[in-house]
Parts: sequence; C-alpha cells; structure tokens
Amino acid sequence: MSSPNHSPEGERPENLVTHLAARLRNHVLWDSLLIFIPPVLAAVFIAFSVYRAAWMSPLAFLLVVVGLAVVGVLAVILRSRPLVPSVRAAAQLIDGQAESKDRFLTLATLASSAQPANFVARLRQETSRFGERIQFGRDFPYRFKNSFYRSLVVSLAAAILFHFMIPVAGSVIRPVSVQQQLRQVAAKMAQKESLKPLAQELQALAAKLDDPKATPAEKQAAAQEIEKKIEQQMKKEEQKENRDLLSQAANSLKGTEQQQSSSGDEQKKDQDKGGGGIQSNLPQEGKGEGQQNQGGGSDSKGEQSAQMSNDMKQGKSAQGNPKEKGEEKNQQAQGDAKNDQRDPNQPGKEQNQEKVGKTQGASKEGAGKNQSPEEPPQGAPPAERFYKAGEGKEGLKGTGYVTVQLPEDLVADSKAEGKATKDGGKGNRARPQVPVSNAPLPAHVPNAPTEKQQMPIEYRGIIR
Amino acid sequence: MEPEQFQLTFKRIEAEVQKVIVGNQEVIRKVLIAFFSGGHVLLEGVPGLGKTLLVKSLSHALGMSFKRIQFTPDLMPSDIVGTEVLTEANGRREFQFKKGPIFAHVVLADEINRATPKTQSAVLEAMEEKQVTVFGESHILESPFIVLATQNPIELEGTYPLPEAQLDRFFFKLLVTPPVPEELREILKRTTGVETSDSSKVLPEDGGKLVNDMKQLLRQVLIAPPIEDYVVRLVHATHGNGQNGGSAGVKQYIRFGSSPRGAQAVILGAKGNALTDGRVHVSYEDVEKIIYPALRHRIILNFQAEAENVSADQVIAEVMKQVKRN
Repeated sequence: MSSPNHSPEGERPENLVTHLAARLRNHVLWDSLLIFIPPVLAAVFIAFSVYRAAWMSPLAFLLVVVGLAVVGVLAVILRSRPLVPSVRAAAQLIDGQAESKDRFLTLATLASSAQPANFVARLRQETSRFGERIQFGRDFPYRFKNSFYRSLVVSLAAAILFHFMIPVAGSVIRPVSVQQQLRQVAAKMAQKESLKPLAQELQALAAKLDDPKATPAEKQAAAQEIEKKIEQQMKKEEQKENRDLLSQAANSLKGTEQQQSSSGDEQKKDQDKGGGGIQSNLPQEGKGEGQQNQGGGSDSKGEQSAQMSNDMKQGKSAQGNPKEKGEEKNQQAQGDAKNDQRDPNQPGKEQNQEKVGKTQGASKEGAGKNQSPEEPPQGAPPAERFYKAGEGKEGLKGTGYVTVQLPEDLVADSKAEGKATKDGGKGNRARPQVPVSNAPLPAHVPNAPTEKQQMPIEYRGIIR
Repeated sequence: MEPEQFQLTFKRIEAEVQKVIVGNQEVIRKVLIAFFSGGHVLLEGVPGLGKTLLVKSLSHALGMSFKRIQFTPDLMPSDIVGTEVLTEANGRREFQFKKGPIFAHVVLADEINRATPKTQSAVLEAMEEKQVTVFGESHILESPFIVLATQNPIELEGTYPLPEAQLDRFFFKLLVTPPVPEELREILKRTTGVETSDSSKVLPEDGGKLVNDMKQLLRQVLIAPPIEDYVVRLVHATHGNGQNGGSAGVKQYIRFGSSPRGAQAVILGAKGNALTDGRVHVSYEDVEKIIYPALRHRIILNFQAEAENVSADQVIAEVMKQVKRN
C-alpha cells in the first residue's frame, strides 16, 4: 500500500527512522483517503441520482462533482497534515517496538557533530543491532482504522437511503402539473376513435390553462364544460378501457378545479397582504347580494362559491347530481343558511363572512336561474370591482366597497322588486330583508319590531 | 576512559559497599551516581538504618580520606572549616591555619539538622564552591569532594531544619528505608557472628584521578533534545504554572518549585544512571528513575500539603502524570 517491506539489515539507523516516518506518512494519507472517499463517492452518487432525475443540469452536475472532488482533496490534506508523524515520533515507535531504550530517538534527534564521536559511534553500533529486530511489514503494517469502517457504513447508508427516497422526493418536490396530466390523458384518448373529439378538447383546455391571458373564471368554465361532456360520454361508453380513460380525465379536471381554487386563495392572500380588505353586508336569504360580495374576494371561500355558482348556472344542481364534487358542501351550506335565518345578528364578522361563502350555493339554488344584473355574463370580463388592485380600465387601486342599507333604500328596493317581478325578473336586485344597520326598520319589513322607535336626533344627520 | 571501565568500576564499588550494607541497593547506587556526578547527598532515615555505616563503607571502598562531623547544637563553624591558631616556631609566633574536618574527600555530616543554622551555613561554601574561606583566606578543597549528610525525620525537638538554600546544594535526597525481613536476617547474620565483613578498597592509589576521569566520562553521555525538553517541562511543572502543571493537583500543594539546580541534577543523575547500565545515552526511564531523589528536597510544599500529609514524592508523581513524554 505504501512502501515495500524494508529489510533494515545493514542500514543506518537514522535512515531506518526516516523510512518509517515516510511509511507512517503514507499510512496517515491512506487513513484520510479511506475516511473521505466513501462520503465523496456517496455524494457523487446522490448528485448523479439528482441529475438522472432531471433536477440538475449536466453543467451543474459536473460542477458538483468537481466541487466534491476539491472538497475531498482539501479534507484529506487538512486531516492528514497535522497527523503526519515526525521523525521523533517515528523514532519513538521504533524504540518501543525494538525495546531499544530511546536509542533511535537519541540518534535521530541528536546533532552528532557536537557530541563525542566515540559515544555517537558506539550508539550507532548499538542501535543498528536493535534495528535488525525491526521489520516494517511485520511491525508496522497498515491496518484499516475504525474510522474507515464508520465512514463506509454511514456513506453506504446515506446512498441507499437516498436511492430509495428519491422517487418519493420526486413526487413531493416536483409533482406533475394538471396540464401535463391532461395532455397525457388526451394523448391516450386520441388513440381511441370514439374519444378523439374529447381528446382534442382536453388538449385545448390544457393550452388554455397554460394561457396567462385567460382568466381563472374562463378556465374554470371551460374545465367544467369538458367535465360535463366527459360525464355524458362515460354514460354512453360501454368499454371499460375507455371508461377508465374518461375517469382519468375527470380526475385530472378535478385537479384543474382545485388548482383554480387554490390560485383564487392565493389571490385572496395577496389582497390581504396589501391591506385592501373589503367589508360587505350579510346576505340572509342568499338572493344574489352575496354574489356581489364574493367577487370582491373578501371572504375566504369566495372562489369556491364562485365555482359552485358556475355549476348552478350550467344547470347543475347539487342535489340533482349527487356524484358531483361539492355536494356535501352545498348541503352543509344550506344548513348554514338556515341557521343564519334563525340568528341573523350573530356576532363575529369573520364567522359571518365564512357563512357568506357557504351560503352562496344554497342561495343560488334558491334563486334558481335568476341571474343577478351585476353578475357578468359568461365569457365576459368581470366588473371593475372584481379586479385586483391596479387592474381595470381606470386602474382602481386597493379599492373596496361597502353596501350601506338604509330603511329608505329597502323601501325603494321592495318597490323595485315588485316591478321587476312584473317585468319578468329583469334587472332585479336582491337585497337582504334584514338590514345590518342599527336604524329602525320601517313597518312593512317582515322582521321589523312592532313598536316604533324614534331615531335619535344626533344620528339623523349622520345617517342621511 | 571507556564506558565499560566506568561501569566495571562502579559495579565493583557498589559490590564492596553491599558487602557491608544489606538492602538499600538503590540508595547505594544513587549515592555513587551523585559522587560521580560531583554532587552531595542528604540521607534521611530513622536511627539505626546504617546511614553512617553506608558512608563509612563507601569511603573505605573508594580508598579516600574520610572525616565525620557529628553535628550538635554547640558546634561552631570553625569546628568544621578550621581556624587560625597561634603557633610558635623558632621563637616566632604566627597564625597558622588549622584545617577542619571538611578537608576530606568524603565528609559525613551526621545529623546535620542538629547544628545551628550558622554552623550549617559553614558547609554551604564548601559544598558549592569546593573551597572554604577563613579569615579572608580561601582554601581549596581536595577533589573529589562529597558531603554525605544524614538527618533524622523524627526527634525534631532541638533541631534546626535545613534552610532551602542549604537543601538546594544537595544533589540528591535519599530516603533510607527499614530492611525487609530477609534483609534483616542477613544483617543479623553478618553482624552478630564471629566474623564481620568490611568493605575493601576498590580504587587504586591514584583513585582521585580515576574518579575525576569517571566524572568527565559521565558528562559526555548523550542525551536527546526531546529528553532534555522533557526534563525542562517536568521541572517547570513543579512551579505549578507550567504547561501541564497548572492543575489543582500540583498547584495547591506547592509553595516553591524546583530551582535550575534540580534540572541539572536530573540530567546528570540520568546520565550517571545510563552509564551504570552500560549505555552511552540517556533514556526517558533514566529521567524517571532520578527525578524523585533529585527534586523531592527542592520542592517546597505549603501548609495545605503538610495538613493533608501530602509528600513531595506524591507531588512529583502527579507532575509526571501530567507532563507527557511526547
């Protein structure tokens, strides 16, 4: 491994010490190499695995390998340099082995010229005799240190662990996007004659999802449309293979919906961070007022309720289609809405806002196909108030809105409602029957108190 | 002189002394090492262990002049170094220097701690300078010169402990131990029978020259720089503030550490030990054998050590434990 086994016979004792020092230096070097090679190799293996998993470019992989090699060399040098035995240490080792009572040490470290020549000659002669007892191969063999075994075991364990962990990590770190899923399913479906049209539509949907210009609402609508077609196709389809493909596509589309809803949440969070919170009044019966609010993104479930609203627009009833996702939520929302009716003045703004979202589906259900005049038509850009800060024609920034209801407004609304009903429901604007203000209710409002209260004088000017 | 001749002579003297003294081989050996190193020895032991006999036997074996001074409280310095006395010769009176017992090759200062410090100090110059000054006149002592002092560790009433300066002049302080039963049996056999043995002269007539040659040879013994460095670190550590001697185990018991004379004694003693083993170089083992007699009287322990009955040897052992050979 290092130097060959010496036959020190006839060699000067000083040289024997020098040779042993060199041999021990090699031992230290090997020790260091054997300690650091396994972890470096393990690290290279891990880097290669990462590179193979396409998480790393070839250049980066090359740089990592070179870096690891440099680090390994530096570590070997830094570790071995202080451990390299001196001539004195080598001499002491030989003395210990040959039981020569520090003769090698004296000879190796003494400045011979300044000493009595006869004494030095005698010492050298004695030491040579002791040197004959030494065989490097036998007395100073290279042995693997425990540190090497530890390093090997730890490195192997790390490499094996990483080898088994990388598929798991791959799915966690870089999941396949919905668009890719859609394209994959579309490619499979395109091979089936009966599913070709749907495959093309899925491809188009994937392209639309990638399109940054398309609004989330558009994407959502397109996804739901295709989902509906897939369901219809599934009913028609008799082959199991095709049905599996269709169910895959449906699952992918559900993923699309989740993605869109999560993007809506992110938008909401962004707005919250910007401080542009919008407060709205509380819809009690769920007749359209909530739709104005939900668009503002003030409540946390605004997007989900928007999806549900779209479902409703397309004629999907939560109760009528029990398989559809969100059915339970809708049912729960109905229940919540009823609870709201029982206790309209429940304290807790956030709780109420949460209920707004939950109520949306139920309110739409209750409203039937009546479309609010403020709700944008399908495919049309949303109203300006739905834009985020800085968007829109006028460049509204950080704006919110608030609906203040006064008793007079309620009277006017009720009159307008009566007219609108006569006009076939056009331009009807739903208002909650129970206002949130503390102004006294007019007598014709159903839940109005029986006794009339005088508005305090100091409030009149403010409210008007 | 060759190392073999030194070893042979040394062994012969040692053997002659051992004819009289049973046991205590290490004490005899170290007394001889101190003698050939040019040092003086303080022998400490309870009465009746053969301290005086050892010195007398040694002087007989060496064949050199021997004087014994019994130190008592009324002993005066002039009783040791000598004095000027008025003499009359040819009708003319003049002062003549009368040499004291210090003028000998081997001087036994028996129970040295019984004399007053003034008298004890009278031997200081003689031990260190190998000369005495009387009435302003210096008188050179003959070489070789060795003072072998004894003292009793018990019966301390009316004694004057040797001052540190005096103690430092002693090359070794050797502890004479009581004989083990086998040794005691041998002592009885030798001393209570009809025939008693005595040491015979080993050195020739010009023994002084031979001893000086042996002294010179001893100083030529090789010592490796790492071993010298080891001695330096050991001695430095006895001060309690050395590289490895600063620990509580050493520092808390030491009032004063060893003087440089301690290091000199260790090196010379180790060289003598190496030569007696037939080697021309000093090993770590030589140092470790010599360090106790060389340093035990040079380390001044504090009150805490006395209170806890910690001896100087224990402190040295702790120092050696802390200072590595490397």
